[in-house]
Amino acid sequence: MFEGLKKAFQKLSNTIKDKVEYKELKEDDVEEVLEDLKLDMIENDVAFDVAENIIENVKKELIGYKVKRGESVEDVIKDSLKNSIMKLMEYENNDIITKIKNKCSKNEPFVIVFLGINGVGKTTTIAKFSNVLKKNNISVVIAGADTFRAGAQEQIDVHAKRLDIPIIKGQYGGDPASVAYNAILYAKSRGICTVLIDTAGRMHSDVDLMEELKKIIRVTKPDMKVLVVDALTGNDAVEQARLFNDNIGIDAIIITKIDADVKGGVAISVSSITKKPIIYLGYGQSYEDLKKFDPKEYVNNLFD
Amino acid sequence: MVLEGLRNAVTKFLKGGSTYKDSVEEFIKDLQRELIKSDVNIKLVKELSENIKKKALEEEPPSGISRKEWFIKIVYDELSNLFGGDTTPDVEPKKIPWIILLVGVQGSGKTTTAGKLASFYVKKGYKVGLVAADTYRPGAYEQLKMLSNLSGAMFYGDQNNNKAEEISINGVEYFKNKNADIIIIDTAGRHGYGNEKSLLDEMRNISNKVKPDEVILVLDSSIGQKAFDLAKQFHETTPIGSIIVTKLDGTAKGGGVLSAIAATGARVKFIGTGEKIDELELFNPSKFVSRLLGLGDL
Repeated sequence: MFEGLKKAFQKLSNTIKDKVEYKELKEDDVEEVLEDLKLDMIENDVAFDVAENIIENVKKELIGYKVKRGESVEDVIKDSLKNSIMKLMEYENNDIITKIKNKCSKNEPFVIVFLGINGVGKTTTIAKFSNVLKKNNISVVIAGADTFRAGAQEQIDVHAKRLDIPIIKGQYGGDPASVAYNAILYAKSRGICTVLIDTAGRMHSDVDLMEELKKIIRVTKPDMKVLVVDALTGNDAVEQARLFNDNIGIDAIIITKIDADVKGGVAISVSSITKKPIIYLGYGQSYEDLKKFDPKEYVNNLFD
Repeated sequence: MVLEGLRNAVTKFLKGGSTYKDSVEEFIKDLQRELIKSDVNIKLVKELSENIKKKALEEEPPSGISRKEWFIKIVYDELSNLFGGDTTPDVEPKKIPWIILLVGVQGSGKTTTAGKLASFYVKKGYKVGLVAADTYRPGAYEQLKMLSNLSGAMFYGDQNNNKAEEISINGVEYFKNKNADIIIIDTAGRHGYGNEKSLLDEMRNISNKVKPDEVILVLDSSIGQKAFDLAKQFHETTPIGSIIVTKLDGTAKGGGVLSAIAATGARVKFIGTGEKIDELELFNPSKFVSRLLGLGDL
């Protein structure tokens, strides 16, 4: 994974190393290589505008930097890039499991709404996250609040049965907000710790469906709104993140399909646009295929 | 919808005050930027813009046509050639029954598209059968069954069988006996990398057994730089005959489609513009390019 970005960073530092060992870095020294690096980042699915922003930051840091004798130019550049990207990815990310346990200890269910465009993997992600909760001995109920897409109710029902988790379903064409609300009532009456609300996929540009989503949010007052983004997405990741964040407001991000040999740039794009943490990565179709996101590990991976 | 920024570049170019060469170079830069922002594969962008630049600077316009108008014509031709030239795709079945195999990545919209295609052909008066050969995703069977009701197509599926290959063969047999004109096989989503390599074998086996008349790659319009490599891999497993682009009702620019076309040589036949069963349109390359260049028909 991420081979392309790694190569791009290596190429950059090698070129600069040849040019400028033991002197002050000038704009001309870095201009061309940074332009190349920008394209390399874009090729790895960092959105155009985000890549431009990162390069500008790195350029500012590098120009005028006096490379000391004995100091590795490669390290200087790596650090500058690393810092710049890390700044875009590191947002406060208190452990979600702890948050759930805290709220549950006050006998209140922790409510999470999953949202995103069609086909990104919301339903499968909910099943995987339920599995994580089960392993942590945290009780959970699923709200099948996608009452629109054909087969959506059956899909989430199969997952719930396989994982042995209660589910509140709805009628096709029914009101998704009332399904979600019923699940919360169910959790309260039975002392269940977590409510995971599955919503129908919707285009971030679809005003009516965004209103429907707002209604679900109003009715359920979730503790957390999680945006699910497909790792195969290109520049549109920025639009998705921006519009969902502006219209609904999101608290965290999960990136899916990271196993499709993706370039990995999408994580940088959505993090930088929303300024919200990525909490998990989905990397397959089975319940075990969800891992916690670690920005340090992610960024270090790009440079190893 | 796609590459709207190009319109401004065209206007700027046609107004432009500087020399022809400078204007061309500036326009090429704008074009590259817009194509990259629209997720067209970077190598493809470079190739395309080099071709245009070469033609524009080395060839002379025919008499009576201004250099600038001629240059826009070059851009238009190069782009529309990539999409398959000036013809509307032929979607009539060449023989009966016509067997269509739908393939694509998880969540790209295969099942919904199967329902839409069925509806499209039912409305044209064909007898259509839908085969549910996705044995992995929970609810896939029910989803396609519901869509067959909505579209007026026949349905075949077997929830007790987890072998996609057998279901496909049986489904095709079943619909041949029912004298179906068009048989559409919906398959599971797969990307084919890492652990999913075996899913490519499954796809190949289905294809070898049912010998589809057309393999259609269903492609999400928001796909990024991976589109080229991914489409190539699909194409090498089961030669892709056509492409359907989905979710064009969002904000995605759809440039990954160009990459998929370049990788497979396939034609785009339809575009999906919503979730409802009738939200499927025939793809028209010349209209598409005219619209993206903001030119009207040339």
